Amino acid sequence: MSPVHYVALSVILFMIGGVGVLVRRNAIVVFMCVELMLNACNLAFVAFARVHDNLDGQVIAFFVMVVAAAEVVVGLAILMAIYRARRSASVDDASLLKY
Amino acid sequence: MRLYLPIFILALLGFGFASFSVFMGTRLGPKRWNRAKLESYESGIEPTPHPPGGGRIPVKYYVTAMLFIVFDIEIIFLYPWAVTFNKLGAFGLVEMVTFVITVLVAYAYVWRRGGLEWD
Amino acid sequence: MTGTAAPAALAAHATLAASAPGAISAPPIEYSQLGPMLVVFGAAIVGVLVEAFAPRPARRGTQLALSLGGLAAAFVWTVVIAASRQVFANGSPGHTAIGGAVGVDRPTLFIQGTIVVLAFISVLLIGDTRFSPFVAQAAAPPGATAEQEGLAAGAMHTEIFPLTLFAVGGMMLFPAANDLLTMFVALEVLSLPLYLLCGLARRRRLLSHEAAMKYFLLGAFSSAFFLFGIAMLYGFSGSVSLAAIASTAASNTSNSTLLFAGIALTGLGLLFKIGAVPFHSWKPDVYQGAPTPVTALMASCTVVSAFGALLRVFYVAFGNLTWDWRPALWVIAVLTMVVGAVIAITQTDVKRLLAYSSIAHAGFVLTGVLAVSTAGLSSALFYLVAYGFTTVGAFAVITLVRDPGGEADHLSRWAGLGRRSPVVAGIFAFFLLAFAGIPLTSGFTGKFAVFQAAIASGETALVIVGVLSSAIAAFFYVRVIVLMFFSDPVPDGPEVVLPNVFSGTAVGVGAAVTLLLGIAPQPVLSLASHAANQLFVG
Repeated sequence: MSPVHYVALSVILFMIGGVGVLVRRNAIVVFMCVELMLNACNLAFVAFARVHDNLDGQVIAFFVMVVAAAEVVVGLAILMAIYRARRSASVDDASLLKY
Repeated sequence: MRLYLPIFILALLGFGFASFSVFMGTRLGPKRWNRAKLESYESGIEPTPHPPGGGRIPVKYYVTAMLFIVFDIEIIFLYPWAVTFNKLGAFGLVEMVTFVITVLVAYAYVWRRGGLEWD
Repeated sequence: MTGTAAPAALAAHATLAASAPGAISAPPIEYSQLGPMLVVFGAAIVGVLVEAFAPRPARRGTQLALSLGGLAAAFVWTVVIAASRQVFANGSPGHTAIGGAVGVDRPTLFIQGTIVVLAFISVLLIGDTRFSPFVAQAAAPPGATAEQEGLAAGAMHTEIFPLTLFAVGGMMLFPAANDLLTMFVALEVLSLPLYLLCGLARRRRLLSHEAAMKYFLLGAFSSAFFLFGIAMLYGFSGSVSLAAIASTAASNTSNSTLLFAGIALTGLGLLFKIGAVPFHSWKPDVYQGAPTPVTALMASCTVVSAFGALLRVFYVAFGNLTWDWRPALWVIAVLTMVVGAVIAITQTDVKRLLAYSSIAHAGFVLTGVLAVSTAGLSSALFYLVAYGFTTVGAFAVITLVRDPGGEADHLSRWAGLGRRSPVVAGIFAFFLLAFAGIPLTSGFTGKFAVFQAAIASGETALVIVGVLSSAIAAFFYVRVIVLMFFSDPVPDGPEVVLPNVFSGTAVGVGAAVTLLLGIAPQPVLSLASHAANQLFVG
């Protein structure tokens, strides 16, 4: 298994996440797909750290994890506010703002 | 491969002992059922009553989980720091204390504004 | 709350970066050069402590003083650094602090100073509580008893001030970041508080929630792309430092797939933040749904900051690859100008109108970016100042025109405003003329500067598109002016409240700067060209 395989896997995971964001309708699932994309980035960083034989990539992965956690908290707070107001977490129901 | 042989043997022994004990327990042990034994295990406290029809879980859990995640993940910076603590010396200590203080400020906010109260 | 970790996290980053096997030496941390950002973040952290320990009645005043004081101190400090002989000794273009993580150079200081001043005005608008646009109890569902009680008691989330400061601190770091990791952290530090601020409107709360959710989901999506771009560039060069990427790009031509994927994805993330077409769809929704002072903050400071970061990345890291990214950015600039101007014509909501106008203006600044020269950089910097002040002033006027249920956003409500309140309508008309780029306003000087720089770099076709879309844009600005002055007033039309010292200052400063940069632009123009003279430090 050369590191290139891991990079390929990270691209695949990133694409699965990206497609998920575009096609899924539940805001929480959309959000989980974004997290999948961030973790795909982490995999790429760690694989490249191996390729270049330096630690930068691993350190970046730490930062990405922390940022992702902060993002989860902010996102869930917004989703909770919406859910309390509307009793729904579907992105299709959020359609007051148009043109 | 030889390097891993002891691990395999240990794993095999552990698995064998566990299956043997479970099997012998069901054969030999006395069977006296009561309600407490049949309930699901939640760290020793009364299990949360499950809402009828698989309904909703109180939003309090989400708040707690969110607070947990955001504080828990900060530990991630402590591990590499701890590993290189001796090499980094006073500089690392000062930086890490600054970092922990900023986290504590957020903690103080949560604590004072009632984020840690369950009810 | 999440942003509290940012300054220390940066310091921790410096710590970790030095922890490679072998020698560990503490990286230098130039506290004096990082002062402006540290002051803003420090004020934000103190603000969180105020929220935690100060009694409720004392909070608002303390927070307001803290925010304004922190921003003023940051501005003074920025000026001191810019005038410092030590940083710019012997004609040096600047300095990179914390072992190369943060660039301290003239364009960055110019951008940071602009952000701080614009943020100061926005905080004035946020602090104007007579008709507070912010929700009393964000956790209570709309219409719930708790919300009614909060409104009756005059409660207000004073957390808004620390959140704003965290966002402003992130905005200051974003264009200064000299490696992509710092830039990503800064991007999140500026975005996360803004997502929350968008959802805090007092009236039309469902709209506000929806804006927050759209902004959040699309923002997180785009920052994931930005991050993957960083991963590609790291894979290409083995480093996330902009200078290292530039030097690898100059020497290594074998792995260009990674390089081009990296340029495209990081560019996508940055273009999303400035709202360039086709990454603009969040902008009208978010600008309309967010509380107007927050919209003012986003429309001015965020745009300035994101352009600063875009300029730095494309000039420093991809400066040798101009021929590769210029055609793509050219298409995006044309699309941004044309789509922004054309769709704005059909708008009926004044905040949405300004959002589309902001998209079109992003296209005009991109024209300056595309010049790829010191003239292009300086014209873009000038344009950002001019546009920022006009925007803040325009949104400040919007907070003054009110219906019983809140601001009168719908354009039909603005009909005949010129007869009922000629001064306010006149000032708003002046701002619209500045957006349109009529002479004697800052908008004209700015447009002239970017178009001149673009022509000097041989981008004549782009300038022709720019002039045409300016003409289209002028049509809808003038349409609003005609509506205000030559239509019959609507019966029971919106009330125009008298500005108090907060909103009055915001409108006044916006109008004064717009006029000043129109009739006597030379000092700021020369400041911008002085700042752009040596480009960014690598």
